[in-house]
Amino acid sequence: MKSRHIRTAGDWLALVIMILAALIILFPLIILFINAFKTQADYTQHGPLTLPKALTMSNITSFWKSSNFPVKLTNSIVISVCVAIIGVILSVLNSFALGIGRVKGNRVILVLILLANMAPQEALLYPLYVMFKAIGIYDTQLTVIIIFSIVQSAYGTYLLSSVYGTFPQAILEAGVMDGASKWQILWKIILPVSWPTISVLFVFFFVWTWNEYMIPMSLLISDSTQTVPLALAPLQGQYVVNATQLAGASLLSIIPTIIFYMFFQHQLTSGIVAGSVK
Amino acid sequence: MSRLPGAHPNSFNIYLLPGLIGLLIIIIIPLLANVYISFTSWRGVGMPRWTGLTNWARILHDQDFWASFGHSLLMILAVTIIPTILGLLTSSLLSDVIQKKFSGRMASLFRGIFYIPQILPIAVATIIMGWIFRPEKGAVNEVLKAIGLGSMQRNWLGSSTWAMPVLMIILIWIQFGYPIVIFMSGLERVDPELYEAASLDGANWWRKFCTITLPEIIPELLVVLLTSTIGALKTFGPVYLLTKGGPGRQTIVPSYYSYTQFFQVQQVGYGATISTALTLVIVVFAIVFSFIQNHVEKNQD
Amino acid sequence: MATSLAMLAGVGACGSSNSSSQEDGNTLTVWWYADEGSAESKGWNQTIKVFEKKTGKKVKFERKSFEQIAKNGSQFLNSDKAPDVMESNRGNSSAGLLVTQNLLSDLGPYVKKYGWDKIVKGQNQILGKYTSKGVIGGNTWYGIPTYAEMQRVYYNDDLFAKYNIPIPNTFDEFVSALAKFKENGITPLSEAAMEYPLQQLWWQLVLSKADKKFVEDYQLYKGKVDWNSEPFTFATNTIEAWLKAGYISKDVSGLKSEDAFTGFTNGTHPIFVTGTWNHGRFMDEAKNFKWESKEWPGANVYEGGTGNILTIPRNAKHKDMAAQFINCALQPDIQNFIGNAGGIPLTYDPSAIKDPSLKVMIDDFKKVASKGVLGYYPDWAGANMYDSMSSSLQQFVNGEITGKQMLDAYKGYYDQGVKDLGILD
Repeated sequence: MKSRHIRTAGDWLALVIMILAALIILFPLIILFINAFKTQADYTQHGPLTLPKALTMSNITSFWKSSNFPVKLTNSIVISVCVAIIGVILSVLNSFALGIGRVKGNRVILVLILLANMAPQEALLYPLYVMFKAIGIYDTQLTVIIIFSIVQSAYGTYLLSSVYGTFPQAILEAGVMDGASKWQILWKIILPVSWPTISVLFVFFFVWTWNEYMIPMSLLISDSTQTVPLALAPLQGQYVVNATQLAGASLLSIIPTIIFYMFFQHQLTSGIVAGSVK
Repeated sequence: MSRLPGAHPNSFNIYLLPGLIGLLIIIIIPLLANVYISFTSWRGVGMPRWTGLTNWARILHDQDFWASFGHSLLMILAVTIIPTILGLLTSSLLSDVIQKKFSGRMASLFRGIFYIPQILPIAVATIIMGWIFRPEKGAVNEVLKAIGLGSMQRNWLGSSTWAMPVLMIILIWIQFGYPIVIFMSGLERVDPELYEAASLDGANWWRKFCTITLPEIIPELLVVLLTSTIGALKTFGPVYLLTKGGPGRQTIVPSYYSYTQFFQVQQVGYGATISTALTLVIVVFAIVFSFIQNHVEKNQD
Repeated sequence: MATSLAMLAGVGACGSSNSSSQEDGNTLTVWWYADEGSAESKGWNQTIKVFEKKTGKKVKFERKSFEQIAKNGSQFLNSDKAPDVMESNRGNSSAGLLVTQNLLSDLGPYVKKYGWDKIVKGQNQILGKYTSKGVIGGNTWYGIPTYAEMQRVYYNDDLFAKYNIPIPNTFDEFVSALAKFKENGITPLSEAAMEYPLQQLWWQLVLSKADKKFVEDYQLYKGKVDWNSEPFTFATNTIEAWLKAGYISKDVSGLKSEDAFTGFTNGTHPIFVTGTWNHGRFMDEAKNFKWESKEWPGANVYEGGTGNILTIPRNAKHKDMAAQFINCALQPDIQNFIGNAGGIPLTYDPSAIKDPSLKVMIDDFKKVASKGVLGYYPDWAGANMYDSMSSSLQQFVNGEITGKQMLDAYKGYYDQGVKDLGILD
């Protein structure tokens, strides 16, 4: 407690460095912000670095209308939430078998599962297209949910299985003594303890899926199935890019993830590998 | 090493089933299909035509291909090595200095800010970066002029010399927050008494970093190194959206190169060859890394 | 006689509502990617209104991204998700590729039925008709152009007046105007090399020394392309000289097309050579000074062509209705509408165009097209040439490679690009 109030010059230096770093990190966002409320004529005259001469909401409202934003937003939320939930469930099941169950060849299986994370997305696109078309779900949100549930769960399995690998033995043994089944041990003992890690995975999966571009671009064709990042693409035309509209649209497109992130920020505090060693 | 007493490992297989079935259908079968396509000539529609090793022979002499893999090393530097080092230092500063000497909320606020570039869609991030690094009225050049360093103004993304370094800086900016979030959570585990004991011994921040912080978060460090390196080898978005591999071939990377073959030229067979080669490189790296990780973890136990 | 009757019917009611009974459903799906502010997009929006009113059918329009249609087109066209009418980029490496993949409908019967070839005439037909190898200028109609575009020179009249420089009419006058602006400390040309503007200026310079045969050799593969010939060396040397003289800033290697657009629109640079797709935007945004546009001073062949084509995918569900829609877009009311919106219609009533400068632009195109001296764009001849050529041009601007090296690189991209298109198989 005492040490808190004795701040050395070095401590202050550290603070200054952090503030500078934060400014550098935030600077591009500030640029985005000021251009989102600028008129195109203002941008044309004065460039992207000056403050708007007059504030306009039209960049944002026109994108809202032209992109049918509520539909895109709903699609993005449904896809990202589904992937986050299914991805977490798969990660937990895999990690339970690999980290606690110690199934035979678990190292090899882990590397195999990691393949989902390693595969370059462009390599999967043509085969997946053929496959999804054959079973009749091409151009549905389901395709993207299935793919990213698997891809994200590879990361989740990698992280969570190492957490479970060092799960406190005493707790497990106590569970077995009480006659709990495997399923009960997973559900009643392991899950609660690894909750912090799971919620971090949930945040990561949600944000990563939200921002995915290449695979959704390839598999989601109709307006009714597309996601928010795809809605930005028509603003970059064959010959013409409307800079301020793009800025306004970009700002609108990141607001949901920023809100989501701020809401779950404190979860990140509680730790990726929290509870694993203690 | 934890394990459930009295339970045979094989009885856990059922828990792996859903994940492995999904993996088989979504990843393994398409990857095998991709390997097959790499031995064919295919325009993406109709039937692929078997051409044997033609594509693979072409790749050996393809300078763009080798250049793109050369650039992957720089991507690893920008996506893995530099952000990890910066992330280690920053998270240690945040948890050891800011959190203790100032406030926990402040540390958490900084971490929140540092993570923001990660939640920006890459398309948005690159648009803004285009404004910042453009030669005329770009933010960097304007700032340099304002502080009297006008002679350091450059045509950043347009010059062969600077395009790659600037691309790397942008990647560092994007990637910076990821190791911080993971490391800081790892540091929560570290027993504060360790630090206090070290402080009493007169250890400065750097000594504590080397003797306590670093060894304690080896598991997180390994996670970050592996996932970032895989990400680095797969770098696509910033190149596609900012430089298209130019000027010349200065910023071409394997994923972008195979993408152009897949979707721009629609030489799907050759695109598949490049992406198969890339997959192989990543898999070999991951296997080697996983051995090292195994070794490190055993030593720790 | 039959065609002229059909034409008459078409004029009145876009072909009225006599759609054949084999098709069910009354909703036509239409996709395009043209920028919202572009003349063609405005014209097609108008087409939707007219079509819906005249036929009583519904149009379901979705704006796609250029990127998605260009990159993923062959995938969705090869599925049951294909729209009924789709805008496609014209040229061998775009629409031509879709033709070779058998993804577009042969529009021959509709051309005959509605007499479209009476509206889309002469050289304007070339970009709608493809060979079985997907090369423009074939015998089969796969797409219908409904507007045109070409490169023009946009001049800032106020700046020309301020420095007492006459608007050039010849190439020599053009160069001396460049020099005079430079003397006054102004970089005359607004340019960008990361994207299309400088590449297109280079091609206009090539074309200024080219002839019809040159264009056919390059774009239609009728003969061998000699990369050491005068058009190429002239264009390359001219760009080099202009860079050296400071008529073009070396910074352009780091600039995008939008930067070149703003560089002219905010009055920094007095001259901008660009496509008529920007004309409507100048009308909306270049309000602080007087400007005018003229065709390239003194060329044999002009850069440009008919615009992106409307196609009917092979898997479209309402082909007859789709043809009715296209027919609607070719009628005088829509064509005049496109003209008034700042675009170039393929047929128009001069008295219906209000702005005299637009009339000049439309007539300039008509003159060039009727002579058959449109030279298209340099990247159409091979797959992926656009990005490759841009990246070498950047290096050339930086002085990192010589003109000779750039042309060698272009030759490589051209040969590989043509090979990748599978045309010579």
